[in-house]
Amino acid sequence: MPNYTIDDIRDAEGNDQHLLGYSGKIARIDLTTGEVSLMSTYDYVPKYVGGRMVINRIFFDEVAPGTGAFDEGNKFIYMSGPTTGVGIPAGGRSAACAVGAANSPEQYAWGNIGGWFATELKYAGYDGLIVQGKADEPVHIRIEDDKIEILPADDLWGLRVHQAQAALEERYGHEFKSMVIGPAGENLVRIASITTGNDCVFAKGGFGAVWGSKKLKAITVRGSGVLAPADMEKLEYLRFNMNNPGMRPSPVLHMTEIGVPGAEFPVNYDRGNVACSPGCNQHCNALLMDGRSAFGDERVNHIEKCVSICTFDYRTDIPTTVGMFWPTKENYCAPCKLLSREFPEPDFSDPDFEGQGTPIAPDTLNFWGPDYDRGTIVNDLCNEYGIDKWEVIIFMMPWLAMCKEEGLFDGMDLGCESPIDVESEAFLREFIENLVYRRGEYGDLFAEGMARAIRKLGYERFSETIYHGRRSQMLGGKRTDLPVSLEAAWGQSVHWQGRGFEGAIEKPTWLAMSLINMVSTRDAQTVEHFHCKYDYHEAAMADPYHCPHTIDAIVHTQNAAEIKDSVMSCEWQSPDLWWPTMEAEMYAAATGYPMTEDELNDAAYRSKLLFRAILIRNHGRCRRMEMESIWRILCVPDSWNEVADWQSWNEMVDLYYEARGWDLETGWPYRETYERYGLADVADEMGRLGLLPERPAERWRDYGEPPFVQFAENRKLEPDWEG
Amino acid sequence: MAESDGSALPATLDELAAYGDHVVQYSPDYSLCAGCETCAIMCGLTHFGVTGPHVSGVHVNLGTRDCIHTIEACLQCKDRPCYEACPKKGQAMCYDPDTDVTYVDQGHCIGCGKCMRACKFEPSRITLRRAEKRKGWRAVKCDLCRGKEGMPACITYCPVRCIGLASDSVLVEAGMHPAEPNAL
Repeated sequence: MPNYTIDDIRDAEGNDQHLLGYSGKIARIDLTTGEVSLMSTYDYVPKYVGGRMVINRIFFDEVAPGTGAFDEGNKFIYMSGPTTGVGIPAGGRSAACAVGAANSPEQYAWGNIGGWFATELKYAGYDGLIVQGKADEPVHIRIEDDKIEILPADDLWGLRVHQAQAALEERYGHEFKSMVIGPAGENLVRIASITTGNDCVFAKGGFGAVWGSKKLKAITVRGSGVLAPADMEKLEYLRFNMNNPGMRPSPVLHMTEIGVPGAEFPVNYDRGNVACSPGCNQHCNALLMDGRSAFGDERVNHIEKCVSICTFDYRTDIPTTVGMFWPTKENYCAPCKLLSREFPEPDFSDPDFEGQGTPIAPDTLNFWGPDYDRGTIVNDLCNEYGIDKWEVIIFMMPWLAMCKEEGLFDGMDLGCESPIDVESEAFLREFIENLVYRRGEYGDLFAEGMARAIRKLGYERFSETIYHGRRSQMLGGKRTDLPVSLEAAWGQSVHWQGRGFEGAIEKPTWLAMSLINMVSTRDAQTVEHFHCKYDYHEAAMADPYHCPHTIDAIVHTQNAAEIKDSVMSCEWQSPDLWWPTMEAEMYAAATGYPMTEDELNDAAYRSKLLFRAILIRNHGRCRRMEMESIWRILCVPDSWNEVADWQSWNEMVDLYYEARGWDLETGWPYRETYERYGLADVADEMGRLGLLPERPAERWRDYGEPPFVQFAENRKLEPDWEG
Repeated sequence: MAESDGSALPATLDELAAYGDHVVQYSPDYSLCAGCETCAIMCGLTHFGVTGPHVSGVHVNLGTRDCIHTIEACLQCKDRPCYEACPKKGQAMCYDPDTDVTYVDQGHCIGCGKCMRACKFEPSRITLRRAEKRKGWRAVKCDLCRGKEGMPACITYCPVRCIGLASDSVLVEAGMHPAEPNAL
C-alpha cells in the first residue's frame, strides 16, 4: 500500500526516527525467477542518505567480484532521494548504478537522471528498485502501487525510444511514467542509454545495454500515494533562494542564430526552456522547437543541454573565462542560469572582476561546419535509438573528421555506401544505424564503443596519429597537436580536460578534472565539474601540481557529487561554494532529520569509500591502473602547448591520496580510513581479501617510468617539435 | 466556447463571462510552462501538507516527447454543476458569493465523487484523495487558496510565471490568453 497520509510515512515500520521525505520501500525485482520482494529504505537511512550512497552500500553487499556488465549477476540499482518529488528544487532527479557496459574495462559505474519517473515511483511507495537476473524473453516491468508485474514486451521490442514511450502511454494511460531503451540497448550497443518521457537519459554508463542484456525494454509506473516534506517553511526558503530563481516569465523566443559563443551562425527556429524534473525552481533544458525529425516528415521538439550545441557546428571549441571554474562570490552564477540564459548582470564592484572575467579563447578545431538541420538529425538519431550523444558528438564524430583529414580512411568505407564525410547527413545516418543494429563488420565493431573499436582497428594508427588541424587562439593561431582519438580515462572521451572538447582551460583546472576522472570509472564531469574559489586561483597557477587548495577543492567537488546524487540535487544547482549548508538544509527540510554540513560530508566520504572498495575488490583497481588510464591524455598539449610532468603529476596524486586516507603505492584505503566513516565491516572484508594496506615505515615515492604513449613519440617527429 | 467539448478552454472575453476568476495558463509567447509541476506540488503542500497525484487542485498535463505542458484547473463555472451535484451542498461543496469561488469543506465531504463526475471538463477538475486514516475519500478542487493571504500558491510559486488569475492578467485584456498551449 502506498503512503496516503503523513502518518503513513512517519510511522512506517522501521522508520524509527520518524523521517519524512522517503516513501520507505525498495523493490527487488528478479527477472530470472520473476519474484518481487521488498526491503525497507530505513535500513539504510539516514546513514546512507539516499540515492547513490544507498546504492553503493547495496552493491558492495550483493554483487560479487568478477561480475561483468552482461552477466546475470549484474544488478541495476536505482534510487531516488528524500528530496525527490517533495517540492525542493533540483530534488526530482534520481541515480542508478551497475557494472557499466560503456567504460573500458567494464567497471562499476554510476549515473543520474531527471524526468518524472522517480517521483511517480515514490507516489507508488518505492524509493528505489533493484533489478537483477535476466529474463529469457523481452519483458517490461509494470508498477502500479502495490502491484509489480513482469510482463512480456514482444510488441515493444524493436521500437524506438519515443515509439516505446507512446506505446506504453497508449496501453496504460498517460499517467504512467516510463523509462525505456531503444534498439541500441536491445542490441547490446555499449553506449546505449535509458530514456525518460521527457528525454532525460542515463547515458554514460552504458546502462541501456545492461537492460538489453536482461531483456528489459521498459519500466513503467503509476502511483496514487503521497509524499511529504518535513519543514514547509524551510522548503519555501529553499524555493526562493536556491540560485536566485528568476520568478519571471520565460517566453518562447524566435532565434536567429545558434552555435558556440563567438561562432554563431544564422538559423530560424523557436526556443523555450523547460525543467527536467518535478519541483525544480529552474528551467535549464533548452527546448528547440519544431525541428527536423530523423524519421519521416514530422517536426519534433528537441531537448538540448550542453553538448548538443556542437552537433550544429564544431569549428571552434567552447570559450571560457577564468571565473567559470574559479568564481568570485560577487560574480558566481550557477550553471542552470547560464543554460536558461538568465545570468545576472555582472557585478562590476567585484574587486576581482577583471581577473575572474579573463577570457580564454577556444581552440580552433575545424571538425565540421555549421548546419542546424544536420545537428537536429544527429540529436534525433541519438534520442530515438537510445545512444549516448556524448560518445557520438565528442568522440565518434571528431574521430571521423580527424581521421579523414589525416587520410587514415583512404581505401576504407567503414561499411557505408555513403562516402565518409562527417558533414554528410546521409553518411552519419548510415554509420549510426549500422552500429545501432550491428550491421556488418563495422556496425558490429563500433557498437562496442569507440575505445574498443579503435583498438580492433589498430590503436597506433587510429588513436595515436596526429591531427594537424587544431589551432590555439591562446598562442596566436599556432598549430597544437591533437591525437585523432580523444580518449581519456576508462575508454571515455575528454571532457573539460584541456584538450579536445572544452579544451582551452588552465593547467590547474585540467589537472583537477583529469584527477577526478582518473579515480572514477567513467567521465565524471556530469556531476563533478571542478570548482574552486577565485581566492585560490593565483596560488594554483603558481604551482598547479602542489596547491593544497586545489586538492581540497577536488575532494569537495567529489563529495558534492556524492551528496547531490543522494540527497538529490543537481550538477547545475549545486554546490554553491558560498552556501555550504545548502544540501544539508535540503535534506533537513525533506526529512526532518537535523542534518549538518559535517554529517553530510562524512556520508559523502563514506560513499566514496564504498565506491573505492567496490573498484578495488571487484575490478582490481590500484594506483598503477589509474595512472596508465589517465596518462596518455596528459601527454597531449593543452592550448598553451603544455603537457603534464610525470614526477609532478605523481606528487599531485600523492597529495590527493593522502587527503583521502589511501595508501600511496596501491591507492587502497587504510583500515583506519574505513573505520573513521563507520565502515569497519568493509575494512574486515577487504582485510580478508588481502586488500587492506599496511602503512609503510617510510613514505613511498617509487613512481617508476611513465607509461609509453605513442602519440608523444609521434610528436617528436613533427618538424616544429619544441619538446 | 463549446461546453459540449469538455477539453476546450474559453478563448474570448465573452466566453470567460461564464466563469469566475480562475487560474489560467498564459500563452507560451508570454511564458512557456516549464513542466516542473511546482504549481501542483505546492497546491497539495499548502492545503494538505502532502503532495501527490490526487491532492492538488491544479494538474499539469505533461507533454511527453514535445515537452509542451498544459495546466488544468477549475474554471469556477458560474452555473456550478459540481455544487449542484453535491448531496451535501452548502456543507461539503460550498460557494462563496463574495468571490464566486466554489470550494470543498473537507470536514463535511463524504467522498461520493458526484461533484467529480458532474464537472463539465475532461479530465475532471475535481479529484478524490484518500481521507486521513484512509477512511473514505475527499474531493479536491481549486479554491484559489481562499482564506490565505496573497495569490494562490500555484501562482506564487510558479518559477516562470506561466499562470495567473484570469481577472488579474493584462493578457486577458489584450486577448492573448488563455491560449491553447499547443498553438505553437
